[in-house]
Amino acid sequence: MANQLPLKGVRVVNFGWVWAGPVVGQTLGFLGAEVLKIESAARVDMTRNLPPFADGILGPDRSLSNHACWAGNGSVSLNLKEPEALELALRLIASADVVVENFGPGVMERLGLGYERLRAVKEDIILFSMPAAGLYGPLEHVRTYGLSLTSLTGLDSLVGYKGGDPVPVENAFSDPFAGIFGAFAVLAALNHRRNTGTGQHVDFSQQEAVMQMVGPAWMDYALNGRSGGPKSNEHPTAAAAPHGVFPCQGDDRWISIAVCRDEEWQGLVAAMGHPDWATAPAFATLPGRVSAIDRLHEHIAQWTREFDDRELAARLQEHGVAASPVLNVGDLLHDPQYRARDTFIEVTHPLGFRETIYGAYVKTSRSRPDIRPGPTIGQDNERVFRTLLGIPEAEYERLKRDRIIY
Amino acid sequence: MIPNTPAAPRGALAGIRVIDFGQMVSAPYCAKLFSDYGADVIKVELPEGDAARTAGPFPGDVPHVEKSGLYFFHNTNKRGITCDVAHPEGRRLFLRLLEHSDVLIENNLPQRMRAWGLDYATLAETNPDLVVISITPFGQTGPYSGWNGYDLNAYHLSGASSRYCGRPGETPLEHGTFAADYFGAVTAAAWGLAAVYGRELAGGGQQVDVSCAEAIAATFVGGQNIGCYAQEGRFDKRTGVGMPLGAPATILPCRDGHVWMLALEPGQWNGLRKVMGDPEWASLEMFQDMYSRAQNADVIYEFIREWTLQHDKMEIMEKCQAAGCPVTAVFTIAEAAAQPHLQARDYFVDMEHPQLGRLKNLGAPFKLPACPGGPERPAPLLGQHNAEVYRELLGLGAADVRRLAQRNVI
Repeated sequence: MANQLPLKGVRVVNFGWVWAGPVVGQTLGFLGAEVLKIESAARVDMTRNLPPFADGILGPDRSLSNHACWAGNGSVSLNLKEPEALELALRLIASADVVVENFGPGVMERLGLGYERLRAVKEDIILFSMPAAGLYGPLEHVRTYGLSLTSLTGLDSLVGYKGGDPVPVENAFSDPFAGIFGAFAVLAALNHRRNTGTGQHVDFSQQEAVMQMVGPAWMDYALNGRSGGPKSNEHPTAAAAPHGVFPCQGDDRWISIAVCRDEEWQGLVAAMGHPDWATAPAFATLPGRVSAIDRLHEHIAQWTREFDDRELAARLQEHGVAASPVLNVGDLLHDPQYRARDTFIEVTHPLGFRETIYGAYVKTSRSRPDIRPGPTIGQDNERVFRTLLGIPEAEYERLKRDRIIY
Repeated sequence: MIPNTPAAPRGALAGIRVIDFGQMVSAPYCAKLFSDYGADVIKVELPEGDAARTAGPFPGDVPHVEKSGLYFFHNTNKRGITCDVAHPEGRRLFLRLLEHSDVLIENNLPQRMRAWGLDYATLAETNPDLVVISITPFGQTGPYSGWNGYDLNAYHLSGASSRYCGRPGETPLEHGTFAADYFGAVTAAAWGLAAVYGRELAGGGQQVDVSCAEAIAATFVGGQNIGCYAQEGRFDKRTGVGMPLGAPATILPCRDGHVWMLALEPGQWNGLRKVMGDPEWASLEMFQDMYSRAQNADVIYEFIREWTLQHDKMEIMEKCQAAGCPVTAVFTIAEAAAQPHLQARDYFVDMEHPQLGRLKNLGAPFKLPACPGGPERPAPLLGQHNAEVYRELLGLGAADVRRLAQRNVI
């Protein structure tokens, strides 16, 4: 038998919307799960309307970013305000292993899709819920956007220029992070079901998952009572110096340099041509470099600005120094590393146009993930309702006409 | 899978044995997700120990290999052994451990694994069912795979900082934590667990090659930008403002810190107006939709700042939230630790460590009601479980273990 993708045979019904929920589906879908997103033309997801659109033609099935972020999901359209649509959703869930949703707490219950209801149609179902701050607690109904959720974790208080105010991260790092993390949680629950035969309702608080990222600062608080603050690109636990981003030749070109070990420092000194300031004995060991890090960074910035970022990174690497150019979005498509790894791929959308999305961003030596762009609304209706649920042709047509399947 | 005795604790990942041969953050955190949810995770350290042991933070800033906060945080629920894989006998022991395991998680640079004779081909030959999760800044293949690199280098290669963090013309910024390592760790845990779960379907073990830079470049930056760049040849850069196209959407100072000020949709904006006491300026025509507010950002942020500076973050958050406006306090770490919400959810756990004493730790990242996870046992001392693990897995007697220790193999 030919090898299969590892999650083949797992069926996921995904009520996830916007970004984080669809990424849960994507992660499982890339690895072979059959993921069916439930959505409706009656309430089009806002990310379907994000420009730019394929070939500049507006439409909910043409948003380029939507197709990348939702890749791996299939789509079934159901107007859940209609009781018949709810019944169809439950019939689909009865055949599924996992249900994913990222609404606020209580929304699934109000839709008639609470955990107990799902269990009634599928005893061992895994319901994966990922509200902003979890299913219960004083902040259960907190309103946040993905990009501000991090403020509740302490993470935002650490981002910014040294000694200055917090600088906002301008997009929701937490969305893909929590989405991929969520796929791990789903797999853990699947493994438990395999071990014991029981499903469960997973309470995945995005706040709590993302707060894991403040671990290093958390430990300084737990051990020393210190609360941290912005410190540019310095090492999170002050265990490296230099450790920063330095200007290079050209407009907005930069290089990142991290020196954790003394041999790396010697490599950097050699690459710089042994300047007098750098050969001071105090800098030969980490504590000396850490205590003079501002001065160190000023000197290095004076030196790096003469160089092309890529050339300098290559030269520093030859000396064993950890350095990389700071890429902008335009660089990503042309960077030799991402090209060599097919990080970004051009695909043909079912509607016929070509577009660029990201491919299998993890390389699995035995499995070849199947990457297809995000779905058009309802693209799997025919197969799901006719073949899977066995709805007769005439009935299917009526459901479409009545905007149940819609 | 290794059969599990019925009496053993039944975490979600019970029955999976993992060797964690990682250092610092990415691989150890990935392995912690396995150990905190019930897998049997054995951390294998070189005789000098995981570099995190010297990276702090330490109590009172006094370095001590058994008192590193970084090490403590990332290695809960694991057993710890030492093994010098550079020593031929140590290498043999290491490979024998892998014969008895389902997963290897490691974050050594590829050239280092090759130098040890632990390249993937060798590992696969040792145990064809082994899932090898390799987490590196740049990945196992491609022109940068031979580069030296750390979290910082991976993050800045992803496009995330240039696009999303920092003021124009000033240095692009990372998040003040090991953002690339955590992203890579979580990515590796998801893809890696899938490879374990579906090992029979997949036809055996495999290498799961995670580049921290690539995971972020693809899913965070690429998803929302690459289609546009490929089609239209244009791209955006950081602005220093939370959201440049709509306003208010940024971090603003208040009397006791900062708030994330967000009021985009009409209902949110009207809620904020009400909380601010319906100031006259807010009724101006140019402030009635998020786009025109953004076009007049300098003016409107000045007005709102005047108000926020007179109020405390919790007061602002509570009043705005009650008015339907998604404003949140920018919590410091201390304030995040004091949240009644997280306490009500038992997010924090008290732990006891032989050297650090009693301390409060972050608990499980997500809740599995049927098989709760989370840290229970503290990170192992260096070589703490040598005798137990080498006996249990490889059948070595106390005298064998002593001899190996004397010869610095373990």
